[in-house]
Amino acid sequence: MKAIGRRTFLQGLGSSILALPWMESLASTVSLFPSQRAAFYYVPIGVVRRTFFPGEEKSIVQQKFNSDDFDADSTRSNIGLGLHDLQLTRTMKPLVRLKDKITLITGLDRTFQPGTDVHAQCASCFLSSASPFSLKGTPYPQARTLDHIIADRIGSGTPFKTLEFSCNSHKDNKESIQFDNISWYGTEHVAPSMRDPLLAYRRLFKSDERCAYKNITDLVLEDAKSLSSELGYSDQQKFGEYFESIRSIENQISRLEAMKQELSKVDLDIPLDGKMPRGEYIRLMGDLMVTALQTGLTNVATFMVGPERWDTPYLFESLFDKPKSHHMMSHNQGRYMNDLIKVDYFYMEQFAYLCEKMNNIEEANGKSLLDNIIFTYGSGLGDGSTHQYSALPIVVAGSGGGKFITGKHLNVSAKSGLIKKVNGTYKTPEGGVPLANLWLTQAQAMGLKLDRFADSTGAISSLLA
Amino acid sequence: MLGNSENKLTSLCMTEFWKYKASKWVMLFLIFVFISNQSHSSIDNLVKNSFRQHCVECHGAKDKVKGDVDLTSYAKGADIKENPELLQMVLEVIDFGEMPPDEKEPIPPKTQKALVSELKKMLEEAVANENEVVKVPIRRMTRFQYANAVKDLLDLKVEVFPLPERMMRDRSGYFKPASGKMPNKMKVSSRPLGKSGLIEPRMDGVAPFPQDLRAEHGYDTQGDHLSLSPLLMEDFFRLSRSIVQSSSFNSKNVGTWKVYFEEPTNEINKEQEIKKRLSKLLNHAFRRPVDHELVNRYALYAQQSLVQGKSFPVVMKEVLSTVLASPRFIYLYDGVNTKKNSEQFENINLASRLSFFLWGSLPDEKLLDCANAGILWEEHGLRKQVNRMLKDSKIKRFCDSFPTQWLQLDRIISAVPDEKKYKDFYYGPPMYRTTMDMMMEPLLLFETVLIEDRSLLELIDSNYTFRSPRLRKWYGEKPMGKLGGPVTISFEKQQVTDRRYGGVITNGAIMTMTSGPLETKPITRGAWMAGVIFNSPPPPPPAEVPPLPEEKEVNDSLTLRERFSDHRERADCAGCHEKLDPLGFAFENFDPVGRWREKYDNGREVDASGKLFRTHEFSNVIEFKDAILKEKDRFVRALAGHLLAYGLGRELSPSDSLALDQIVRSVKKENYSMKSLIYAVVSSKPFLGRDSKLTLHQRY
Repeated sequence: MKAIGRRTFLQGLGSSILALPWMESLASTVSLFPSQRAAFYYVPIGVVRRTFFPGEEKSIVQQKFNSDDFDADSTRSNIGLGLHDLQLTRTMKPLVRLKDKITLITGLDRTFQPGTDVHAQCASCFLSSASPFSLKGTPYPQARTLDHIIADRIGSGTPFKTLEFSCNSHKDNKESIQFDNISWYGTEHVAPSMRDPLLAYRRLFKSDERCAYKNITDLVLEDAKSLSSELGYSDQQKFGEYFESIRSIENQISRLEAMKQELSKVDLDIPLDGKMPRGEYIRLMGDLMVTALQTGLTNVATFMVGPERWDTPYLFESLFDKPKSHHMMSHNQGRYMNDLIKVDYFYMEQFAYLCEKMNNIEEANGKSLLDNIIFTYGSGLGDGSTHQYSALPIVVAGSGGGKFITGKHLNVSAKSGLIKKVNGTYKTPEGGVPLANLWLTQAQAMGLKLDRFADSTGAISSLLA
Repeated sequence: MLGNSENKLTSLCMTEFWKYKASKWVMLFLIFVFISNQSHSSIDNLVKNSFRQHCVECHGAKDKVKGDVDLTSYAKGADIKENPELLQMVLEVIDFGEMPPDEKEPIPPKTQKALVSELKKMLEEAVANENEVVKVPIRRMTRFQYANAVKDLLDLKVEVFPLPERMMRDRSGYFKPASGKMPNKMKVSSRPLGKSGLIEPRMDGVAPFPQDLRAEHGYDTQGDHLSLSPLLMEDFFRLSRSIVQSSSFNSKNVGTWKVYFEEPTNEINKEQEIKKRLSKLLNHAFRRPVDHELVNRYALYAQQSLVQGKSFPVVMKEVLSTVLASPRFIYLYDGVNTKKNSEQFENINLASRLSFFLWGSLPDEKLLDCANAGILWEEHGLRKQVNRMLKDSKIKRFCDSFPTQWLQLDRIISAVPDEKKYKDFYYGPPMYRTTMDMMMEPLLLFETVLIEDRSLLELIDSNYTFRSPRLRKWYGEKPMGKLGGPVTISFEKQQVTDRRYGGVITNGAIMTMTSGPLETKPITRGAWMAGVIFNSPPPPPPAEVPPLPEEKEVNDSLTLRERFSDHRERADCAGCHEKLDPLGFAFENFDPVGRWREKYDNGREVDASGKLFRTHEFSNVIEFKDAILKEKDRFVRALAGHLLAYGLGRELSPSDSLALDQIVRSVKKENYSMKSLIYAVVSSKPFLGRDSKLTLHQRY
C-alpha cells in the first residue's frame, strides 16, 4: 500500500484548524475563559548532560566505567540557586523562537527504589514520584500519576478525562508494561496509550460508532454488579476498574454527542498503513494531542516519545541511515556521544514543534493555547550513561494562564549535576530537591488544594508569577 | 560430628589463609568464628554459624550490605523464618553454589549439604503457617485467550482476528495430538517473520486490541499486567460488535448457527425459545451456571429488540455482542460464594483454570460436566480429563503460547545479525532471515515431547531434531531439497548423532537471539539459561554496566572472556558474573548466528570450559549438557515453576516451593515424562487451590 504522505495530512489538518470555522462555534458554547490544561512530554533514557545543561559543557563523558575517582564536582555548573537568564544550550536550540515562553528547571531529583531494573521506574514512576518502599506489595514506587490527579480536578467536564499518547512503534514484545507507560490510574493499573494514529483519530473525532454502545452498557453493568458480589475483597478492589471504565465511556458518549456537530468538521487524512518516518509519526501523534486539547476533548494529556530501555533498534530516518538503539548507545557515551546528542536534539525538535503549534492557536481569551497550558518536557534519568535519578532535565513550557514565570532558568539545587562515583558506585549528591515539588506546584496551579504530593517537601515558589 | 568438620574447616581456612593475601581483619574474623564455634555445635546453630562464618562479612558487617541483603540480625539469632522471601533466596544461592563468591572461603560440601537441607526444613516450617494458598487474582482475558474463547463458544470455522502471538503455523495438518505421534514431515509458516503467514480464513472486518506484553521473567497471563481501562473497554465494545456485524458471521462459518441464531421454524413460543437458547449460551460463555434473573435480563433485552421489528438472527447477534463484552465473559476469576454452594464454585473455578491453562480458552461442556459432578477432585477423574485435553486439537493453543514465551522466542524477531558479516543469513529481497527457519526447531521439538509424551529431558538433550533444508545447510549439512521460504517451510525429523546439537539450548534460534549483530553476548546467554532453564533469573544488571571495550578499541588478540575480565575483577560485578559466566561461556563455540566455531576471528581458540553450580566441571558444550543432566531435577523444578506461573497468572512465592518439590518427586517416579509433569502441575496444591489429598467428601 502506498503511504499517504504527511503533507496530505497536514493540509487536511491545516484547513480545518487554521481556518477555525468550527472552533468559533465551539468557543461560543464554552466560556471566554479557556479551561486549564496540562500536558507532559516524556523523553526516555536521559540526555547527554554537557550539551543540555548550561554551565556543564565540561561535564565528564563516561568513557570507561572504572574511572572510579573522577571528580564530578569539578564538572558541575557554577550556577547559583534561583532564577537566571535562560541560555539555550546546543540541545535546547530548537526552542529558540519560544525562549520567552519556557522555563528550564535544574536540580530536581527522584529516588530509585532498589530491586528492579533502573529503567523500569524511570517512566512508570516519573509522574507519581512516590518515596521508595512507601507502597506495599509492589517493587515499584508507583501510585496514581499526576495527570490523573490533576484530571480529577479539571478533567471531569471533558469527554475524555485524560488522553495518553505513545510513539513506541516497536512491533516485538520485548519489554513489560513498566517500560512503556508513564500514565497509571494507580499501582499496577496502567492507563494504556494510543499508538496508532488512525485508530486514535477515529476514537477521538468519529463518534458514530460509539453511540451503539449505549444499548449494552446497562446490561453489562448489571452483570458487573452481580459478579462483584461473588468476589473476595482484593478482587473486588481490582474489579472496580470495570465500573470505572464503563462510567467513563458513558460520560464520553453523552459529551461527544453534544460536540458531534463540531467534531464532524474535523476531517483529517491519516496514512492507512501507518508506515511513516519516525519524526513524521511523532508529529502526527502530537497533532492529534494538540487538536484534542484545543477542541476540549480533554484537558490533560501525556505523550511518551519513546519507550524506556527496549533494545530493539529504531530507524531515526532523518538522523541515521541504519536502525539504532538509543539505549545501547547510552551505555557507551564515549563512543556514541555525537549520535546521542543528535537523538536528544531530535526529541527536543519534536517538543518545540508541539509548543509552536500550541503557540499558534489563539484561544477565546486572546492568548495562545501554549499560554494557557502547562506543558512539561522531562526524562526520568539525569544522564543516560550514569543512569542517575538526580539532576533531571526538565523544561516547562507555557504558564498555565499566567500562573508561572517563563523565559528563565531556575536552578533549585546547589549540588546539581553529574553524579559522583565513590568506591565503584555512583552516589547521588545530597541536598537535591524532589521532582515532586514541581508536581505539587503544578497541581496547586491547577487549583488542587494539596499540601503535599508524593515525596514533596514544598512547592517551588520562585516559579510562580 | 559437625563441630569436627567445622574445626577441620577452620584449620583448612588457616592454611588457605596464608595462600590468599587476606587482610588482617579477615584473620580476626576467622579467630572470632573459631572461638564462637567452641560453644555452639547443635544443628540448630548450623544456620547461624554459617551465616556468621560465610555470609555477614559482605552481608551486613561493617555497613557492607551487598545486594541489599543484610544477614547480621539472623546470624545473631533472629528467626529468618519470619522472612520467607529472604529465606528462599538464601537457600537458592547456597543450593546453586552462587554464594559465597569465588574469592571467599567456600562452604565445605558436607556442611553445604547439611545447611541446604536445614534451610529447606526451615522454609517448609515458615510457609506451613501460611495455610491459605496464594489466591489467583481476577484478571481479564489476554487477547489470545479472547480470540480462542470466542471461537470455541460459537464453534467458528474461521479465526476471529490475526494473532502474531502464534509464531508457528501448521500448513500441512501435521498436528494430530490424538494420534500421540508427530509425523516425520511437516510444513509450517511464520507470521512475524515470513510472508503470507497471516493468510488463513478469518472474520472480515474484525480488528483486535493490542497484544498483551509478556511480564518480565514471566508470561502474558500474569494478572497484574491484565487490567482494564476505558480505552480497552471501548476496544471490547467495538470488537464484540464488529464480530457479530462481520460478513463472515453466517451459517457457513458459525458452527452454532442452528443452535443460537437461526429463526425458529414453527410458531413455537418465541419467548420460551429465546430463554432456552440464551440459557445455553450464557452458561457456556460465562463458564458457570447462570440464574434465572440473569437469563431473564438478557431475554428481556432480546424481546424488546424483536418488538422493534428486528429479525430473529439480528436480535440474537446483538445479544451475543453484549455477552462478549460482559465482565462475566472477559474476566477470569475465582468466585467465592457467601451462599451455600461453595463446592460448586470450586469445581467450576478448577475447570476454567484447566482449560485456560491447556486450551487457552473456556472449558467445553464435557469438562464443565465433570467439574459439576465433582470428579475433578479424584485422581482418576482429573487424569482422565487432562489426558483428554492433551489429545484434543485445542492443545495447539498451549503449544502456540507457552513454549514461545518460556523460551522468550519473541526476542528472535528483533535479532539482526550484521548484514555484511553474515550476508548468507539473509536471502531474497526484502531480506528474509534464517531466523524464521531457526525459530521452528525448538517449537517442533517441544510439540513432539508433549504429543508423544516423551522425557522432558529431551528438551536439554535429544537424539533427534527437526530441520528444514535451509537449516541443514546452515548447520553445515547437505540441504537435501529446496531451501524454501518465505511463505511455507518444509521440516523433517532427523536423527542427531552429534550431541552438540539436539535439545533446545544449542539451537540456532537461541544462539542468535542472545547475540549482538557482530559478536556473541555470553552474559545474555547466561542470563537466558539462568532464567529459562533454571528459573532463577539474575537480578537486573547494575545501572552503570560498563560497555565492553569494542573489538577495535582494545588489543585485537583478546578473547571475549579476557575482555570481560574487568567485570569479574570488580567486586560488585563478580557476584552475578560467577553465576552467569559459566552458563554463557559454555556456548562460546556457537557464533552470533548459531554456527560452530573453534576459533575467534582473531585466531584465538574458543574456551568454553567452566563449572556448573561450582560443582560439575565441563570443557565443552557436550559436557555442559551432561552437567545439566546431572542436575536434571533442578531443570524439572524450574520448568514446573514456569508452567505454574503461566497457568496461575501470578508470580510464584516461597509458599509454592513445597509444591514444586512435590512435583519433581512425582515426575521422577514417572521417568520424567512430559505428561506426568503436566499432570503433577495441575494436581499441585497451588493449582487446585487446596490440598490435593483431600477429596471433596473428606473436606465437607
